[in-house]
Amino acid sequence: MSGRFGEILQHMRVMTLKELLQFRRDVFLLIIVVYAFSADIYVAGSGIEMELKHAALTVADYDQSSASRDLIYSFREPQFKLQGMEMNADRAMDMLDSGKTMLYLEIPANFNKALLSGDPAQIQLLVDTSNSVLGSLATSYAAQIVAGYGVQRAMERLSVAGAMGGSMPMVNSAHRVWFNPNGLDRWFVPINEMLTMITMLSIMLPAAAMVREKERGTVEQLLVSPLTPLEIMLPKVFAMTMVILLGVTVTVYGVLGPIFHIPFRGNVFLFYTLTAIYVFSTAGFGLAISTVVNNLAQVGLMVIMLLSPMLMLSGTFVPPEAMPTVLGYLMLLSPLHHFIEIVMGILLKGVGLDVLWPSVLGMFLLGGAVFGFGTWRFRRQFG
Amino acid sequence: MNLTRLAAVIAKEWAEITRDRLFLGLAFVVPPVLMLVFGLGMNLDVENIPFVIVDHDHTPQSREYAYRMIDSRYFDFKGYLNDEHQIPRLLSRGAVRAIVVIPDKFEEDLAAGHAVTVQTLMDGSFPLRANIARGYIGAINAYYTQELIAKRLTTAGFSQKQARQQMGNLRLEMRMLYNQSGKSIWSMAPKMVMMVLMMTPPLLTAVSLVREKERGSILNIYASTVTRGEFLLGKWLPYAGISMVNGVLLWALAVFYFQAPFKGSFGFYLLATFIYSFTTTGIGLLVSSFVKTQIAAVVMTMVVTLVPAILFSGMLFPLSSMGPQAQVIAYLAPAMHYARIIDGTFMKGVGLDKLWPSVLSLLLYAVVLFSLAYYFFTKRPQE
Repeated sequence: MSGRFGEILQHMRVMTLKELLQFRRDVFLLIIVVYAFSADIYVAGSGIEMELKHAALTVADYDQSSASRDLIYSFREPQFKLQGMEMNADRAMDMLDSGKTMLYLEIPANFNKALLSGDPAQIQLLVDTSNSVLGSLATSYAAQIVAGYGVQRAMERLSVAGAMGGSMPMVNSAHRVWFNPNGLDRWFVPINEMLTMITMLSIMLPAAAMVREKERGTVEQLLVSPLTPLEIMLPKVFAMTMVILLGVTVTVYGVLGPIFHIPFRGNVFLFYTLTAIYVFSTAGFGLAISTVVNNLAQVGLMVIMLLSPMLMLSGTFVPPEAMPTVLGYLMLLSPLHHFIEIVMGILLKGVGLDVLWPSVLGMFLLGGAVFGFGTWRFRRQFG
Repeated sequence: MNLTRLAAVIAKEWAEITRDRLFLGLAFVVPPVLMLVFGLGMNLDVENIPFVIVDHDHTPQSREYAYRMIDSRYFDFKGYLNDEHQIPRLLSRGAVRAIVVIPDKFEEDLAAGHAVTVQTLMDGSFPLRANIARGYIGAINAYYTQELIAKRLTTAGFSQKQARQQMGNLRLEMRMLYNQSGKSIWSMAPKMVMMVLMMTPPLLTAVSLVREKERGSILNIYASTVTRGEFLLGKWLPYAGISMVNGVLLWALAVFYFQAPFKGSFGFYLLATFIYSFTTTGIGLLVSSFVKTQIAAVVMTMVVTLVPAILFSGMLFPLSSMGPQAQVIAYLAPAMHYARIIDGTFMKGVGLDKLWPSVLSLLLYAVVLFSLAYYFFTKRPQE
């Protein structure tokens, strides 16, 4: 019995080594994987923000009073950037059409007078909402700015008139953002990017390694060798898991920590264990794909079809509560969805298994099912 | 350039494509499927944010205030929380995204004309959503303050109408251009065309050339009279054609299924998509001209196309918010230029007269890509 076991280990060792050798010898693949775990994450994290910044504002100020100027200057950097005046409405429309300005604010001639007397004063704001994210941010900020300005002016006027006897009831907002104070996209985007790369490579690399053997015909050699199907398959997954874990190490300790100052609050051992499990089980998708297809072009298409919905709908960009109900449930079937909770939990929140166990359990069950399916297909085809 | 030889290369490539049934199917099925999944799931409207309320005051007024949030369609009320120690657990689990804490003496302080502070604890894991939620809460508080002051004014002897006039006399009329509904799908669906066309066509092109290298069938080309240019062009045209057909399919999906408004000219859309198809497949062509294995080609194409298309096209992350470095990348990536064109033709109804810089950039891009591929591809490889 121990002899058989030793033999399996020996087979696995040799085959894993073979995969790693093959990987190392493909210079371009090596370069692109290194790039994916370092420069790519740096680039994504250093410039990308999901926040309204320097939105171009063009103004038509028909009032030219200190009040209208006050209002204009309350549209401040970094959200807004005053681009200039444009009294000609046609030319302003042109600027909006060609995207040269995003907002166009019109202040009527009687603005200051109306504010002083308490008569209704109406200002108009045109917003380019063709990008809905930007549009909704810009409109909500603009509404807040104008409302705040209105309240402030009214208070000044009322206190001058002495109507309130000096005291005003008021509800102020105070906000505390947890886990990611200041809503730092610098943390969110690079972590997201790392998860994207992990997922993409953990499906792609084993599938490609397997299909390559099919395409070149070397799989026939492996099948007539004393290796069992599992001994052919598992080393590919082991080897690629090692490669990816190495890449993750580069990202976490070379990019996320030193460059983006993302804290590692949780347990390192737990992080690596769960990442390894994730990579290993996601590779099951790759194995399942490799049994259906015959060449790498097909692999590429299948991976894209599987990967892109997983990436975009796993809660990185859109949380479950904003999904249509059916997709919301489907999302629970994506291992990535659980893995995101785990990674964010360990890195940013510093929590452990006691909090993360539902996600870990979900990932375990799904990963097990996926890997089991992949193995089953594989054995059926090559057994 | 010999047209007969070019036609022969195209015919050979086309035969290969049509004989691989799975591949052919996937080439036309994957793009629409992706478009449907994204279109249904990429909901960027921030609504139904799950939240709980901690009420330390337990008075009629604090409850009335709480109902301002409970009734809002932006928030999804998950109940009152009595034990504040539960907060870290709830936020860590992602079960709620915000916790509103109403302070002790809320009613008493407001009645006395003092300012009170309502604290909101938020999960910052989704920065965009946290920002927008903060805006909503700020707006709710501002309106509540206005009402409170108006109420005080009426007790101070003003008529109700006078009080309202005094408080809310500055009105902002907001006009959302191009996307009046403010629905994210209207602006997302057209941009999905940009993203999906960036995902599959380059991959197909890249693999088709490298496959010949890996299988050795390229030796036939090396030994034949076909020139470099004819061979590359013969590889390029069929895939650009596939991409073009997909462009029309996706356009139909966006317009008829997702009901996105299309205000521009269809002819101009076709022209721009034609050029874009050559640009995207050109990326595949370039990658395949120097890479030696299909795995490397697939991974490299995915990394260089997918990431800019998602991150740097301005679809999710606004261009104006990017740092200088990221803006350079955005301008260098073709996705951003096509996104501009898409925005223009769909939402704004503008044509070549305003969008010619973007069209020209795409054209230039295609020419440069082909030239580079021509330079790197050699019929006499050193090995």
